[in-house]
Amino acid sequence: MKVADFNGQKSDGPGWNLSERIWGYAFVAPAMTLVSLMALAPIGAALWLSLRHRLPIFGVDEFVGLANYLDLLGDERFWATLRTTLYFTGLSVGLELPIGLGLALLLDALTDERTRFGRLAQTVAIVPWAVPTVVSAQMWLWLYQPDYGLLNYVLARIGITVPIDWLADPRWAIHAAVIMEVWKTTPFAALMLLAGLKALPWELRAAARVDGAGWWDGFRSITLPLLTPVILITLVFRTMDAVRVFDAVYVLTGGGPGNTTETLSIYAYKTLFQSLQLGYGSALATAMFLISAILSSFYVLLLRRRMRDTT
Amino acid sequence: MTRAWILLFLMSVLGCTQRDDAPDAASTVLIFKHGRLSGDERMLTGLLREFERRHPGVTVREEVLPSSSDQQHQYYTMNLDGGRAPFDVLSLDVIWVQEFAKAGWIAPLDDLPPTIRREDFFPGPIEAATWDGELYAVPWYIDAGVLYYRKDLLERYALDSPRTWPELLRAARLVLDAERDPTLVGFVWQGKQYEGLVCVTLEVLRSNGSDLWAGDRDRAEEGLQFLRDLVWTYKISPLSIGMADEDSTRLLFGEGRALFMRNWPYAWSLLQREGSPVRGKIGVVPIPAFPGFSGVSVLGGWLLAVAKHSPHQKEARDLIGFLTSPDVQRRMAMELGYNPTRIALYAEQTMLDAKPIFKDLFPIFLSARPRPITPYYLLLSQAAQPELSALVVGTKDPRDVLRAVRRQGDWLLPRLARASADGEP
Amino acid sequence: MNRELACRDHWAGWNVAAAGRNVCLLVVVAMFCLGPLGWQILASVKPDEELVRLPPLVPTRLTAAHYERVLFHSSLVQALINSAVVATGTTVLALMLGSCCAFALARLPIRGRPMILGAILMASMFPPIAIISPLYLTMREMGLRDSLIALGLAHTVHALPLTIWLLTVAFRQLPRELYHAARVDGCTPLKALLTVVLPPARPGLAVAGLLTFIHSWNEFMFALTLTASDTARTAPVAIALFPGLHDIPWGDLAAASIIVTLPVAGLAAFFSRHLIGGLTAGSVKG
Repeated sequence: MKVADFNGQKSDGPGWNLSERIWGYAFVAPAMTLVSLMALAPIGAALWLSLRHRLPIFGVDEFVGLANYLDLLGDERFWATLRTTLYFTGLSVGLELPIGLGLALLLDALTDERTRFGRLAQTVAIVPWAVPTVVSAQMWLWLYQPDYGLLNYVLARIGITVPIDWLADPRWAIHAAVIMEVWKTTPFAALMLLAGLKALPWELRAAARVDGAGWWDGFRSITLPLLTPVILITLVFRTMDAVRVFDAVYVLTGGGPGNTTETLSIYAYKTLFQSLQLGYGSALATAMFLISAILSSFYVLLLRRRMRDTT
Repeated sequence: MTRAWILLFLMSVLGCTQRDDAPDAASTVLIFKHGRLSGDERMLTGLLREFERRHPGVTVREEVLPSSSDQQHQYYTMNLDGGRAPFDVLSLDVIWVQEFAKAGWIAPLDDLPPTIRREDFFPGPIEAATWDGELYAVPWYIDAGVLYYRKDLLERYALDSPRTWPELLRAARLVLDAERDPTLVGFVWQGKQYEGLVCVTLEVLRSNGSDLWAGDRDRAEEGLQFLRDLVWTYKISPLSIGMADEDSTRLLFGEGRALFMRNWPYAWSLLQREGSPVRGKIGVVPIPAFPGFSGVSVLGGWLLAVAKHSPHQKEARDLIGFLTSPDVQRRMAMELGYNPTRIALYAEQTMLDAKPIFKDLFPIFLSARPRPITPYYLLLSQAAQPELSALVVGTKDPRDVLRAVRRQGDWLLPRLARASADGEP
Repeated sequence: MNRELACRDHWAGWNVAAAGRNVCLLVVVAMFCLGPLGWQILASVKPDEELVRLPPLVPTRLTAAHYERVLFHSSLVQALINSAVVATGTTVLALMLGSCCAFALARLPIRGRPMILGAILMASMFPPIAIISPLYLTMREMGLRDSLIALGLAHTVHALPLTIWLLTVAFRQLPRELYHAARVDGCTPLKALLTVVLPPARPGLAVAGLLTFIHSWNEFMFALTLTASDTARTAPVAIALFPGLHDIPWGDLAAASIIVTLPVAGLAAFFSRHLIGGLTAGSVKG
């Protein structure tokens, strides 16, 4: 192999390098084996299914090539759910990241004071992420109730007396879902970013966190660039999760009203498990996968350039 | 220390996966998969033990699924489509029987115990469970849409319970105007984008002599218009109806904040329990109709079937025979509040004494009509739900909705029938 | 080195204005994070008939009926034990496999690094609803239906991508000399990983562990499909068994949500020490 690998690491001699590489493969092997067996194989099965017409109720099971994908292109419901998914993803990730970053900075400042207070704050911030989705979706369903939900009650108390039909109003429903998602997943972003912050060298962070006029400049010129890899990873995983959001929105709205909150995975779920068009449903899932892949590779390109720059 | 923990963990994993069913050679293990029942689950467990006592050598293991219809359908189809399913007896929603029968997932029940005779059961579920002339499932408990009303409020204004939709409108308008209570609404029903909305729509359209996927177009459109007008023109249903499901309407009505409610019979005992604000103030009548037609409830309920490839066909049928026997149905009605599927039980005096509501429900069950009896029902329903929801929240007008739904039906059905013919070996 | 000095410097900058600002921010954060949950706590102690009444905001009398039902008349306790076993196993396995893999990707000269990272990412990119069927059928064939092992493996695979990516970045941020020095001293790469690389990467490990644990604890779709009986059912599935066909026991659900969330919150509190602890270790070598 070349003496320098992709991030410019120098090797210290041919013999050593070889054994290093063997160690490397040995380290990678267990994880890769498990992932291949338990994830890549089922993915292969799903991809294969997407090339077939498979309708158990009709006894149909035949290879059709790309027919399902061509059907997809002419399927209005697919395009509508795609738009909904992208809107949902863009809005929720766009909100989570800045809020999460702010939260992470706050927690970072607090925990550095080494008080119990800081750790308590950290725990509190994680709580929404710790509530199981099955429960949190029901919880929000209840908060959004126009008649006895807390949200409208609080809004009425602070002077907004026109009750909002959070879930029945086609303009509001998707935003209600976004609010729920942001509440639930901001802690994830915050925690990832907090870990990134904690991994930065102490002096740098101290320098960047001086109170006063220079704070923003310090943050922008020192902290942010160093944090970029972690930000990108957070983006990758949050985007992936948002693109395939299912349980939460399904429990909240079932895709309604008037299909305004039907995301790709709700559509795929209904196609796979309700109307049992297994081939077509798999094609829908593959489309979701491709969207995630495109978005992620965009981030990964950024990430790799960044990592090459910094290491 | 860490190592000890890991060891402990591994041991507990292994310990937990030790199956405790190592049966003695002679015994047959029947796996009975069903959605969770409301109320005390020990009741059903007790019944199964009794079955085991009566059938020595047979052990029944219950595997409970969440009661959500969607999750059950997902579980069953995934298992049945993937070859030999790990269960013998399963409970089915009334709308699935045709689908499962057509797919060859459940066995025809030609040689049932003699205690099961079709004519003993309500005709609706039997019709829904018959495919190609053969019975594929036995009705376990029955459901049908009914109209709940506030007896006290109607009496206050000397009104009768409504038999037609115009009467309901008039009554609601009158009471709402007179009561001047901003928290009171006229009529609540299930308007969320899901199966419940299809049921409501079918009831309204059928009570106008039409239907959703077939039948007279003008009258169907009139029905859809009515549904939409309830919210947008007559304003006796709140805007929030667009997200209402069974339980949210039950809660609203149960707080005394609605005059009428369309729901299933399950709500009755919850509304009548101790501490309920509407206890003793409510009544149940059949779904109203448009003048000149009669109201028709949509049939719900669950049935029992045998997995096609179960090796214990006979024992499975015995279990179904036991669970749908008059005796067990009587106990499930008394103790859990599930409505029996056997007609004769509704004439028993002890039953009527314990559950007076059965007198009101009986004619409704007797005339309840299943949703379209076709293996493709879920496909149709799934395609129609977004359209109907758009109607309710006012983003689409009835003409467009009807056109879209009918087009889906016309497009799907022949196409699927052809695909099916091609696929036949 | 000069941790104490740095701390002291920092304390000097800790003035009243900053404290006030932080407290305000914290109150906002706490309301945002805990507000909905506070409502759940209230709901869990309200008598049934007050659940759908607003006002009053605060219940007129408290009841433990929901907690009693959830703890003693449902399978939730058994399910919590199952969840704990699965989530712990998943976390341990994912951290073990993940840190090895991440270390190789971050510091060892192996080929096809982008491909490996890509393949691992792909594994978590495919929507679970589309792969659940083949995965389940495979497990069923292997006789792993209704077992904690199957569920733990599935969760591990879906937690690995995040673990590996997170740790790769964390390892890369450590000074390269750390590892090289250990190697020159004669450590094998494994020993070097255990002794000099993992300790300073503790914040990363703590976060990866915590996120993996929570993911496994809360995961529903796989758990619903792969488990069938009380012996293997995890908490989210047990909670999904509460509602009847139409009726939803809101009070019980609220109580269950509190009970299920508490252990994780406790764990988060425990892990938070390591988040800070890592800082100390890192600064010594930094």
